Amino acid sequence: MNWAIVSFLAYTGILIAIGVWSYRIVEKVPITKYENEFYAAGRGLGGIVVALIIAGGLASAGTFIAGPGMTYAYGYSWVLINNFQIFMNLLLLAPIGIIVGIVARRVNAVTYLDIFRARYQSRAIIVILTLFVTVFLLPYMATQFVGAARVIARMTGMGYLASLALGSLVVLVYCVLGGMRGTSLATLIQGIVITLGCIVLFVGTVVYAGGFQRSTEILAAQDINFLSPSMGGAFPPMFAFSLACLTGYFIVGMPHAMLGALTYKNTRALKRGIWMGAILVLLWTLLLCMAGVIGRSLVPDLAVPDEIAPWLAMHVVPEALGGIVLAGIVAGIQTTVAAMAIIITSSIASNLLRELKPDVSAERVKFASRVTMGACLAIAIGFALLQPRLIQWIIFFSIGGLVTATFGPILLGLFWKRGNQWGAIASICWGMVIYGLGNTVVPQMSLWGTHPSFVAVISSVIVYVLVSSATPPPSEEIARTFWGKR
Amino acid sequence: MKFDEDPRIRVSRKILALAWLFFSLYLAAIMGLSFNVGTEPYLWGLPRWVAIGNIIVPVVFVLLLIFVAERFIPDVPMTEDTGDTEEER
Repeated sequence: MNWAIVSFLAYTGILIAIGVWSYRIVEKVPITKYENEFYAAGRGLGGIVVALIIAGGLASAGTFIAGPGMTYAYGYSWVLINNFQIFMNLLLLAPIGIIVGIVARRVNAVTYLDIFRARYQSRAIIVILTLFVTVFLLPYMATQFVGAARVIARMTGMGYLASLALGSLVVLVYCVLGGMRGTSLATLIQGIVITLGCIVLFVGTVVYAGGFQRSTEILAAQDINFLSPSMGGAFPPMFAFSLACLTGYFIVGMPHAMLGALTYKNTRALKRGIWMGAILVLLWTLLLCMAGVIGRSLVPDLAVPDEIAPWLAMHVVPEALGGIVLAGIVAGIQTTVAAMAIIITSSIASNLLRELKPDVSAERVKFASRVTMGACLAIAIGFALLQPRLIQWIIFFSIGGLVTATFGPILLGLFWKRGNQWGAIASICWGMVIYGLGNTVVPQMSLWGTHPSFVAVISSVIVYVLVSSATPPPSEEIARTFWGKR
Repeated sequence: MKFDEDPRIRVSRKILALAWLFFSLYLAAIMGLSFNVGTEPYLWGLPRWVAIGNIIVPVVFVLLLIFVAERFIPDVPMTEDTGDTEEER
C-alpha cells in the first residue's frame, strides 16, 4: 500500500466534506444575504483565518514549488529574494485594512470591485479591471494547477492528467459549493497541513544531507556562486530590490489578497492576521527555500529544478510523512487557486453583471456566481493541459500585471481625496501599455536591470496624479463615504 | 457643508506609514547585511550572510512585528451605526 497516496486521499476527502458542509450553510442563507455570505463569509472571520487567507492566497506555487526550484537552480541568492515576501500580510492589511473595512461596511461592499465602484463610480473602470484581472489571473491559476499536478504525478506515479484532475477538481468542489465560507474553512485545515509539511521536509532534508556544513561544502565544490547573494552577479541588488517592491510595497494592489481586508471581523483579527501571517510565511518560505538549496547538494542533476520539492519528499522522508508533505504543497497551491477563483467570479458574476444589467435578480447572481466559478476553473485547468515549463516567470508576469493595473487606483484612491476616475483609467491603461512594452519589444524600459513591473507601477502612479490633478475632483459624496465622519 | 474627517482615517494613514517604515527597515537590514557580511567564516555551517541576513534578521523582525502590531495598531470600532466596539467582542 502506498501510504503517500492514502494520506493524500484522506486529506482530499476532508476538503470535499468541507465543500458539502459549506454548501449546506450557504444554501440556508436568505437570498438577500447570499452574496455577503458567498464572497465575504458574512464578514466574520477571525485573525488566524484572515492570516491564512492572505498568506495562503499570496504564497502560491511560486513559494511551494518554484521557490525551492529557484534556490535549487540559483543557490542562496533566491533565499534572499524569497525572503522579501515574508511581510506581505503586513503590507496588505496595515495600509488598507482599516479603511477598506470601514468603507466596505458603509457601502456594503463584498467584492474588491465594489470598493472601486464606490470610489470611482465608473462603469469603465469595472469593465477594464474585470478584463485585466481575468487576463492575468487565469494563467496564474493555470500555473498553480500545473504545479499541483507535477507534485502529485511525481509522488504517486499517476499520469499528469489524472494528477491534474485529482489536484484541481477538489478545489472546484469546495469553491463552487461553499464559496468564501468553504474556502475559509478549507484554508484553516490547509494552513496546518502546509506548515507540518514544510517542517517535515526541511528537517528530513537537513538530516539526510548530513547537516548544513556538509551541504555547504558540497555546494561550494559544485559552484561557488551558489553561496553568493547575487549568484555571482546574475541577480544584482537593483533586480533584487525591484522584486522586493513587487512582493512588498506593491502587493497592496493584488486583488485576491484583498479578500482578507474585506472579510475580517474586527481590528483585533486584523492585527493577528498581520503577525500570524508573517510567522506562517516566514516558516513556509525559509524552510522550503533552504530545503531546495540543500537538495542541490544531494541531487545536482535534476532536469526540471521545480521538481526538487517532490523529489525530496520522496527520498528524504518516510513514505507516510511524504504524503503529508505532498498534501502540504498541494494545499498551498489550492489556497491560492481558491482565492483567485473567488476574485474572478466576484468580478464577473457580481460586479460586471450588475454594471451591464442593473436590475438583475439576486437569484440570477447566485446562479451566475457558481457557473462563472466553475467555468473559470475549467478554463484554468484547460490551460494547465499545455504544461508550461517555467512557471516562476509566468507567476511574476501575472503578479506584475495585476499590481501595475491596481496599485495606483487602490492606494491613491483610498488615501488621496483628489484622485478621480480619469486618473484611475489613465493610470491603468498607461501601466498596461508600459508593462506590455517592457515585457516584449522594449525590454530596455526595465531601468537598471529591474523587473518590468517596477517602471510600469511607478510611472502609472505619476500618470494617476497628473491626470487626476488636471481633471475635476470627485464628488463630495465620495469624500464623505470614504473619509468623512458620520 | 463642512467636511469632518473620520478620526479612524488618520489612524489608517499612520498605520500605512508604520507598515512601510517597518518594511523599509527590514529591507535595509536584509539587503545591507546580505551584500556586506560576506560568505566566510561559515556560521552554523551556512554562508555567514545567509545565517545572519536571511535567518536571524527575518526571525528578529517577525518577533518585532508581534510587538509593533499589538502596541502601535489601535483597536478601532469598524461600524459607526451600531456602537460596535472591540471591547464588546
